[in-house]
Amino acid sequence: MRKPVVTALLLAALLVVSTVAAVSFGSESIAFRDVLGVFRSRLPFVGGAAPDATVEQIVWQLRFPRALLAMIVGGGLSIIGVAMQALVRNPLAEPYILGISSGASAGASLFFLGLLPPLLTRALTMPLAAFLGGWLAITVVYLTARTGARVSVARLLLAGVAMSALMASLTSFITLVSPDPNRLRAVLFWLLGSLNGAHWSLLPFPALTAVLGLVCLTALARPLDALLTGEEPAFNLGVPVETVKRLLILLAAFVTGALVAVSGAIGFVGLIVPHAVRALVGVSHRRVVPTSFFAGAVFLLWADLGARAILPSQDFPVGIITALAGAPFFLALLRRNPYRFG
Amino acid sequence: MNPFRAFLVFFTLATSGVFGCAKSPAPSGGEVRAFTDDLGRTVELRQPVARVATVAPSLTEIVFTAGAGRKLVGVTTADDYPPAVDTLPRFSALPMNFEAVAALRPDVVLGLTQINNPRDAETFAALGIPMVFFSFRRLGDVMRVLRTTGDLLGAAARARAAADSLQRLVDDLRARSEAIEERPRVLFLIGDGTLFAFGPESYIHELIFLAGGQSITEDLTTEAPILSDEFVLTSAPDVIVGAFGEDYDPARLLALHPTWTVVPAIRDGRVFSFAPDLFLRPGPRLVEGARRLAARLHPSLFAAEATGERPSGERP
Repeated sequence: MRKPVVTALLLAALLVVSTVAAVSFGSESIAFRDVLGVFRSRLPFVGGAAPDATVEQIVWQLRFPRALLAMIVGGGLSIIGVAMQALVRNPLAEPYILGISSGASAGASLFFLGLLPPLLTRALTMPLAAFLGGWLAITVVYLTARTGARVSVARLLLAGVAMSALMASLTSFITLVSPDPNRLRAVLFWLLGSLNGAHWSLLPFPALTAVLGLVCLTALARPLDALLTGEEPAFNLGVPVETVKRLLILLAAFVTGALVAVSGAIGFVGLIVPHAVRALVGVSHRRVVPTSFFAGAVFLLWADLGARAILPSQDFPVGIITALAGAPFFLALLRRNPYRFG
Repeated sequence: MNPFRAFLVFFTLATSGVFGCAKSPAPSGGEVRAFTDDLGRTVELRQPVARVATVAPSLTEIVFTAGAGRKLVGVTTADDYPPAVDTLPRFSALPMNFEAVAALRPDVVLGLTQINNPRDAETFAALGIPMVFFSFRRLGDVMRVLRTTGDLLGAAARARAAADSLQRLVDDLRARSEAIEERPRVLFLIGDGTLFAFGPESYIHELIFLAGGQSITEDLTTEAPILSDEFVLTSAPDVIVGAFGEDYDPARLLALHPTWTVVPAIRDGRVFSFAPDLFLRPGPRLVEGARRLAARLHPSLFAAEATGERPSGERP
């Protein structure tokens, strides 16, 4: 697109509209006037009484923090998707390619199903267990791929696939031997990826990591562009290739780990959003990274709105919606545009 | 058919051919009785049935209540009631351990459409073991299956007496709860964090009505709904009943769902949790579940039920 300013303005407007939609609709119907009333009562100076305690709880304590979490997770996963695709120079790459999500899933199931030693369980929470699981997986993958000062991308990919398979089978084993059906259902819900249970005090850590990711990757835009041309050309262009690669892996571990810990492994966002964005704004990372962040935020906002509204009175794992709605859209996009990856 | 099962069937057929039909798949000798099960299949049972294996815990309870407990030769690893199951051999039912069941040489295997795979019957048939399926949809099915099982296992009289006794308890509850005008609106939850609940086609709403309440998940559209917090907030249940165990701390519910401070059940401290099996296991103990729930919902009306006492003249 020729005018980045116009794109940015459009995305910002879309984000605002999507947020308004996300707090206005859900599994229960609430009059738009009441939704506005809740926000007005929260404004300083303007004041005004909240319409009703139940409406207040639904809009301010459930829908709004959940909408914010959707933005954080959608945006964060999308930019890590961009980073991973540049790192391994493969359009199939996504944030979970280094085994983080499967490691986190294994950690969460171990914790959920009470199979960790009691001493450890008392010191952990579920998000922390997931975070540590993800870190353990990516550490093993990294150490496998490293030889001396170099990190081999091919080994990184293969080790990631192997680690994912190992952790996935561990998760399956844990869930199969689980004695408690109630907890088992909870784990299955979590594994599918869901923003259910978002509340205000949950937001700061993932928000901070996602913004940190956005800032770092925007700063790394030039090295990312260079990496896409290949490691040797990048090195000849003066990019400290090995350092950048390490930084990218570290960022992926940190951001993805934090996001998966709070939302489960929501698939597909980190894969399709970067491609959709490249089709819109071209391949320059200076534009791809920030645009992906906001596009991912908008995408997950709508996907989660679908998850909350598709069945009346019920909650639905958003991970199912992202694939269900994202895949056809993505296929159509691939067909229509003369698509270029790098 | 998966490769393992195919192999098992092939192996069984092959060996029965080679070793001269030591155990032929079709029943031979003795009186054979045709029986139509809840899947509409016709199953031929050689009489009398002396050895039975149950592949669902609620059916184990049914067999014991029918007075045929001593005919049980094995139960699943999930069984825990009545205490007599502790001495019985165990096998895994999910996935089904066909070898272990076959080794127990049962005359019949009893299964549940809600839990077991109907195709398990084919594999058992190839092993020469007939399998009978039951289905629980309404509370009345407990009494019906109890009578049928007794009939099947040659304990018809005792089973009928037990079923009649359960039916009297149900009738007694109904007689007293029918007149209740102001029914508390009850939310029944299976899970406390992820809000699994019962959809329209469940017996649970019947139990709640019998206990003098009105279930609020009866009109939903899906069978196994996962409720949203929003639904709980707007439907504002007067009582929340959980299958989280007797020693459940109701404060945990509020910790998991901080927005529920405005829900009447939470505000008024009317969160009751029971042993899961009294409600989730469709067997004879459902009636006990309904009685205990009645005692919590209407303490003055059902004082006797609170102590677990039964009307005079009833066998425990």
